[in-house]
Parts: sequence; structure tokens; C-alpha cells
Amino acid sequence: MLRKPIAFLKKDFLMESSYGMAFLFNFFGIFVSILGYFFIDRLFGSRITPHLEEFGVNYFSYVLVSMAFFGYVGVGLGSFSDRIRGEQMQGTLEAVLVTPTKISTILLSLTLWNLVLATIDMAIYILLAVFLFKVNFAHTNILSTIVVFILTILSFGCLGIISACFIMIFKRGNPFGWIVSSLEGLISGVYFPITVLPSWLQLLAQFLPITYAIRAIEFSVYKGYTLVQLYKEIGFLLLFIIVLLPISLCLFKYSINKARREGSLAQY
Amino acid sequence: METILEVNGVTKDFSPAFSLSGLLSSGLRRPSATRALDGLSLTLTKGSTLGILGPNGAGKTTLLKIISTLILPDKGSVKVNGQILGENDERIKASVGLATSGERSFYWRLSGRQNLDFFAAMYSLGKKQAAERIKELLELFGVTYQDKRFDSYSTGMQQKFALMRALIHDPEILLLDEPTKSLDYASSLELRNFIKDVLVKKHGKTVIFTTHHMDEAIDFGGIFMILHEGKLFAYGTLEELRAETNLPTASLGEIFVRLTGGAK
Repeated sequence: MLRKPIAFLKKDFLMESSYGMAFLFNFFGIFVSILGYFFIDRLFGSRITPHLEEFGVNYFSYVLVSMAFFGYVGVGLGSFSDRIRGEQMQGTLEAVLVTPTKISTILLSLTLWNLVLATIDMAIYILLAVFLFKVNFAHTNILSTIVVFILTILSFGCLGIISACFIMIFKRGNPFGWIVSSLEGLISGVYFPITVLPSWLQLLAQFLPITYAIRAIEFSVYKGYTLVQLYKEIGFLLLFIIVLLPISLCLFKYSINKARREGSLAQY
Repeated sequence: METILEVNGVTKDFSPAFSLSGLLSSGLRRPSATRALDGLSLTLTKGSTLGILGPNGAGKTTLLKIISTLILPDKGSVKVNGQILGENDERIKASVGLATSGERSFYWRLSGRQNLDFFAAMYSLGKKQAAERIKELLELFGVTYQDKRFDSYSTGMQQKFALMRALIHDPEILLLDEPTKSLDYASSLELRNFIKDVLVKKHGKTVIFTTHHMDEAIDFGGIFMILHEGKLFAYGTLEELRAETNLPTASLGEIFVRLTGGAK
């Protein structure tokens, strides 16, 4: 059952590790990014901290967790379409699709490596935060944090599958990728709490799942909230999954069959 | 003899991909579709060799991709090894091995063996079973460079790996799209003999191949199918084609030119 996902994971590891410098630059990228927010905190932190009273942390601690967490959201949202486009451009998608492997297995297996990378990134964030910047994670509720992680991956995975449908049909043009990289990053509380936004943008943010995911993760990491205390955020993420999972899988099956009818599976 | 492939009235049209420049150049009219296959029907029995001949754009590759489930026909039906296309695609995939001439269908930064390992897993071969099968295929094809990176292989070697991949799950039907396209004469001859003597005669595989080379088709033997503009122009053994065209001494090439009007 796990032979195929493991084969994908092994293949992706072998391919990624053949680019030796990528790992190193990824580490430095995270370090530089954290350092940037550390100095922003020193400059403007005192002005933002009052907005973070409900989380009980300073700006640097807040943005560190949300940035690390946002990497996971990116996996859920971007990896499906990115990996499918990657396989199309390499010319290997048809070779994989001609094997008796279920589309759902291919889709999930393609994202596994991105998930592993995001976890490594997360570990780097945490290690740097604890040992270099002395951020305190003593109150973290591990169970709540894990549950929020899983729900976030699943809910954004649904959007990711829909965005992969766009790639299968239109080859380029991914509206969901644009939404997460710009709109959601801006108004959902990743870089700053949403209370600093104008009231109409705060209202809009209430309709985005990432807003609830970020709040849930900050509360579980810094305030140690239990699952019961996070019922509103978890409920919203669950609702999102229940509605979007069947829709996204049906849409993906439709897009694959459309590409098969058009003979465009391998086109990019 | 047991029927392994039934193609009934298959038609396939390809619409040009949407593009702004295409729309403007066609005066905002929807560009017309290209007919790749036009009401094609054929039946093939187990253990046969079918050579699909036709000029560029005749629909040869489209037919192979339909049989391998990569493309769905617009009209008509296809039954492969008793399974209906569009209903039991997973089973069709398990009984078909496709080798295209596009060497880009491998992971270039992996070695040949790592590629075969990956695809063996995709065909649900267990670890031990995969290792044994890969060893067997490497010996069969006389390949000793399996641990070098795929992009370092010669085109001929890449073609051998494409064939090994198509055979890794021991399929009933082998679909070969221009199998000797990039091979030198000696390698091409070796491969043809391997397909004829080992795959067809010894293991009873059904082989369907496309080619532009009449000599090669004759060497493979079996049944020939001449496609032109998606239509079936002739189907049968060389003797049957000669009888059908009233050219009792003609070569396959002469029959091809007569039927297709010398199309390239």
C-alpha cells in the first residue's frame, strides 16, 4: 500500500539531493528571513505588540510561528499544481499516468517530498528561534498544534487540488496560487495581526481559512490552548474540508479526463 | 485464437489549444479541429505483431496512446485484453507496456536503475520482485551502465531503458512508438530480433509498433496496417495487402506509396 508513496519520496529525495547547494541555500534563506523580522521587531515591535495582547507574545515571536506555519500552507496549496507542472515539463507525467496507479495516489505522493521539506524548514525555524533568538515555547499544547497542522494541510490541500485542475486544463494561470501568495499573506495575519488592518479588510479576513489557521496555531503554541478552546477555529477548518474535499477530487478527475479527451496530458 | 484488442469505429479530433494569437488570426472564429483518427476499427489476436505504417500525422501515435489509456476517443469503443477503455483503465494499464521514442519520459538526474526501480513500484512490483525483474531485463538487454545518470546515456541506451520499462511488469501487449528511431543499424537489428524471437515467439507477447521504415516493418513481419489522415487504408499480411491492391509482386513500400499517394 505504501510502496508507491515511498517510491515517490525516494525518487524526489534522490533528485533533490543531486542539487547539493539547494539544501544549503534553503537554510540560509530561512536564517536571513528570520533575521529580517528580528530587526523589524526591534524597529517597530513596540507599536505592534499591543495588537498581539490576546496571544501574549511580542511581534518577533508571533511572525516567526506564522511564517513557519505559512510554509505548510504553501505545501497544501502550491505543491499539487507545482509538482504536476514539474512532471509535465520534465516529460514524465505520461509515463507515470500510464502505470496502474490511482490518480489520488499520484497526487498525494507527489506532495510528500514537499511536506518533508516544509517539516525540515519548520524544524530550522524552531531551532533558530529557540537557540539563537531565545523564543519561549514552554506553553505549547502539542496535541492542539498537531491537529491544527493536519487540518490546515488538508483544508489547503483541497484548494491545492483545485489549483492543480487549472494546471491540467489551462497549463498556466493559477488563481489560487496568486490568492495565497498575495491576498492571504496580506490580510490573514501571517505578517502582522489582522487588528492592524482597516475594518473592511478585517471583515474580509474572517472568510479566509488561513486567518483561522494562523490564530489557532498562535494560540496553541503560545497560550497552550486545548482543542476545546480552539473549537471556533477548528470547526471552521473542518467545515472547509468537508465542503471542499469531495468537490476538489471530483474536479481533478474531471480535469484529468478532459486532458485525456484533448490529448493534452503531457502538454505544458 | 484469443482476441486481445478490439477497436470499433474510433474517431478522435484534436482542437487546437486556445490562444489569443490563434483566435485573432482566425478572425475570432473557433479554429477547426484536426481529425487524428476517423472511424478506425481493427481486431488483433493474442501473440500477433501489428505494424502501423503511415506518414507523419496519420494518427499512429494517437492510436497507441488511446490503447494505453492516455487519450480517450471521441467516438467508438476500445477493448484491451477483455477490458473496456474508460471503464477498467487500471486493468488495461496493467496489461499494456508503452515505449515511446521520447527519451524525456525518464528522470534524467536519476540513474537507469533508479528509474526502473521507481517505475517497478508504480507497476506494484514488490521490492524483491522488482530487483529480480530489473536484473533479468538488464541481462536480457546486455546493459551494464545502469548505475550512471540517465542523461549520460546515449540515445540508443535510453531507448533500451524505454523498452525495459515497458516490459518491467511483463505486460501482455507491448506498444512501441518508433522503437528503432534513434538506434544505429546494428542496435536496430538486434532489437528487432529480440522483439521477434524472444518477446513474440518465446513469450507469446502481442506487439504493436509504429514505424516509417518499410524494411523494418517487413523484418518484424506479421500484420500491417496503413493509416493515412486518420483513416485505415489497408490491413493484413503482405500477401493480403498485395491481393487487396492487385499488386501481386509489389513491395510493402510500393503498396504504401500507391495507397497514400506518396504522402510523407
